[in-house]
Amino acid sequence: MKMNFNKRDPVYTQVVRHFKERMATGMLEPGEEIPSRRELANQLKINPNTAQRAYKEMEEQGLIYTESNQPSKITTNEKILSSVREELITEAIDMFVSSIRSINVPLDEIIELITEKYEDESNE
Amino acid sequence: MIEIKEITKKFGRKKVLNGVSFTAEKGEITCIIGVNGVGKTTILNAIMNLTPVNSGQILINGEKIHKGSYENVTFIPDAMTMLPQMTISQAMEFMQDFYNTWNQKRASEILGFFKLKESDRISELSKGNKAKVNLLLGLAMDVDFILMDEPFSGIDIFSREQIAEVFTSHLIEDRGVIITTHEIGDIEHLIDKVVLLDQGVVLKEFNSEEMRETEGKSVVDVMREVFKA
Repeated sequence: MKMNFNKRDPVYTQVVRHFKERMATGMLEPGEEIPSRRELANQLKINPNTAQRAYKEMEEQGLIYTESNQPSKITTNEKILSSVREELITEAIDMFVSSIRSINVPLDEIIELITEKYEDESNE
Repeated sequence: MIEIKEITKKFGRKKVLNGVSFTAEKGEITCIIGVNGVGKTTILNAIMNLTPVNSGQILINGEKIHKGSYENVTFIPDAMTMLPQMTISQAMEFMQDFYNTWNQKRASEILGFFKLKESDRISELSKGNKAKVNLLLGLAMDVDFILMDEPFSGIDIFSREQIAEVFTSHLIEDRGVIITTHEIGDIEHLIDKVVLLDQGVVLKEFNSEEMRETEGKSVVDVMREVFKA
């Protein structure tokens, strides 16, 4: 696991987001074991207390769960998993819309351009 | 916890520390940042009582420092204190004879962690490897607190990365660490607490993650604000 952090957002929220992205794309599967807080700190080169904080946050959001003395696992709760996906999509679209709106492009043209771009990239 | 309360130190007429206060918790990495010559090393020396302070108080786990305190703290200076003609294993034996807090098992583990060879002579090591041996000799002690003076100073990037890895590993476990540095660079995400020091005065003390969360500022952002004033 590798990550580039920005320096101004809390590290733990960046870690949580990283996990959400991997869950949404299926790189982390439901029920999959995740590293211990020490292993995560080591892999991502972050402070172990921060790794701990990220896990606590994910546990509270129901993204991961821990059974007594077992390694933590990715949730198998379908509802949570689909809401993670939705959240990421909504966020990306919000960002896109707010930046494209300032250029005043008609919706038809945008859709056409997106379709083209999508096809190009999947052909590559 | 190490508590520094209003310590003052004069060398001749010069006040090197002028009412310095901060705390360092167990299980946290506290980083004292300041340019060279602002009193960072003097603080560490004061905690070790190598430089007795003129006024103020230093408490370790709630007690005033006394001889027994040093079973609980180890100091890793920025330069090797072992004789250059020694091999790494001789240096380790020396530490073992001298300190009853020495943990040989951990020492061997760190040796592997840093990929160092016991039979190597200190004088023949690269600067980066010397720094690693120096760190090994301190980290191998069974103590609650580790003080490191400029552990990243003047060594190559790969050694720096390896040393930074110590901070995320179980070698630190739940110990308290105080490090000094004049350059935050690549360790910004590794530390818990920042103490900004200038001219013997603490200008600001904060938790780096909290600073990002509440004010959206990086450690370097805060340094720019505080030090330019």
